[in-house]
Amino acid sequence: MSGDEINPAAVAQAVEDVQGDDRWMSQHTRFVQECKDAEPEVLFIGDSMVQLMQQYEIWRELFSPLHALNFGIGGDTTCNVLWRLQNGELDNIRPKVTVVWVGTNNHEHSAEQVAGGILAIAQLLTSRLPKTKVVVLGLLARGDGPNPLREKNAAVNGFLRSWLPRLGQAQFLDVGAGFVHSDGTISTRDMFDFLHLTAAGYRAIAKPLSDLLLQILDETPEEKRASLV
Amino acid sequence: MHHIANASLTDKVMSSGDSNPAATPTPCVDIQGDGRWMSLHNHFVSNSKDKEPDVLFVGDSLVQLLHQFEVWRELFSPLHALNFGVGGDETQHVLWRLSNGELAHISPKVVVLWVGTHNHGHTAEQICGGIMAIVQLIKDKLPKAYTLVLGVLPRGKMPNPLRERNAQVNKLVKDAVSSLPHASLLNVDPGFVHSDGSISHQDLYDFLHLTPQGYQAVCQPLHAHLKGLLEKQAEN
Repeated sequence: MSGDEINPAAVAQAVEDVQGDDRWMSQHTRFVQECKDAEPEVLFIGDSMVQLMQQYEIWRELFSPLHALNFGIGGDTTCNVLWRLQNGELDNIRPKVTVVWVGTNNHEHSAEQVAGGILAIAQLLTSRLPKTKVVVLGLLARGDGPNPLREKNAAVNGFLRSWLPRLGQAQFLDVGAGFVHSDGTISTRDMFDFLHLTAAGYRAIAKPLSDLLLQILDETPEEKRASLV
Repeated sequence: MHHIANASLTDKVMSSGDSNPAATPTPCVDIQGDGRWMSLHNHFVSNSKDKEPDVLFVGDSLVQLLHQFEVWRELFSPLHALNFGVGGDETQHVLWRLSNGELAHISPKVVVLWVGTHNHGHTAEQICGGIMAIVQLIKDKLPKAYTLVLGVLPRGKMPNPLRERNAQVNKLVKDAVSSLPHASLLNVDPGFVHSDGSISHQDLYDFLHLTPQGYQAVCQPLHAHLKGLLEKQAEN
């Protein structure tokens, strides 16, 4: 990112209630409350890709046992996640790993800006939680066939691949392999609306992710929980 | 795109296309850049060519997400059901889809219609008009089908104007279908709103969309009702 320009994707911003039922704020408030009661080892934060995962069996199978919290909100951009993290969703918790998955909804921003927003989230996490490891998931391809958003998401991933290692405690994990077939199409068996994952789609990404999480948790020096194995 | 004037309607003005945006067939414009709405529509049209569903579910994300959970396989696959739900769809979008091929190759006995909660900017009367326009369209295209309209669920963690709007939509639709032999409204809210006015995230994970647990509570009675309808259709 060049010099003094402010990256709009790295500016914290709450979602305004335009619909009239204040659901975004209600969800944020619930997460802040969860921080008071829970002691998560893993924190997932992001958009609907994170949120929906908790509704499938795979969450209970692979991530609940890791004492994971899910702070996903559908529709969120990097700006919204930044705001939430700055306004209570990191209070009183000390997760060993934070999984960040956001960026596909940043429609107003360029690929470089989106990557900058994700980087800002990773930086915020490592500064607020000095001992946490940050895993940033790559943005998935989307749409039935090739389209500009696929190129954009791939470009975001490209920036993240080179920027994240410089943070030391952050790493990039690409879970998108296999979704785009040789003819360029994505199947509704994997993404029911060419964006959101089905149970089968989540199963495909959950395995490499949970393997990585187990590895990181295993490496973490403090109290090793027998229940993790 | 194709705008179909419902000339056969003599009902309330709200179901006539010209004066009610919620009842004017309208495709979704691709503003994001990946054409997903049209892809899904085309997928539904081609997907229906070799299927013979007895039941068609059509509507918005409440319908679409239902297809992703176990409850679909348990309760609705055995009824030979197809799912044409699209997240975010408003009544006018469903109207366009059904007018442009999604009913062309199938003859379901029952159509389950669940839409209306995303019609932001429309009044309850307009939304009712949109739903009734869909009911009429189904009647025109599938004269033997029964349309089961599902009541729009409450939403939001605490009482809010959208809950009132949705409740009013249900009331208006119930009145509108009461004289129709081929349609009815089924209230599928099992009591999501607690005595303190709150809705739990265990039922509606974002205070709008159903969790698998929420779907079970909604779908068990729906399934029983559907089976009854199908049996009646079989007798006719």
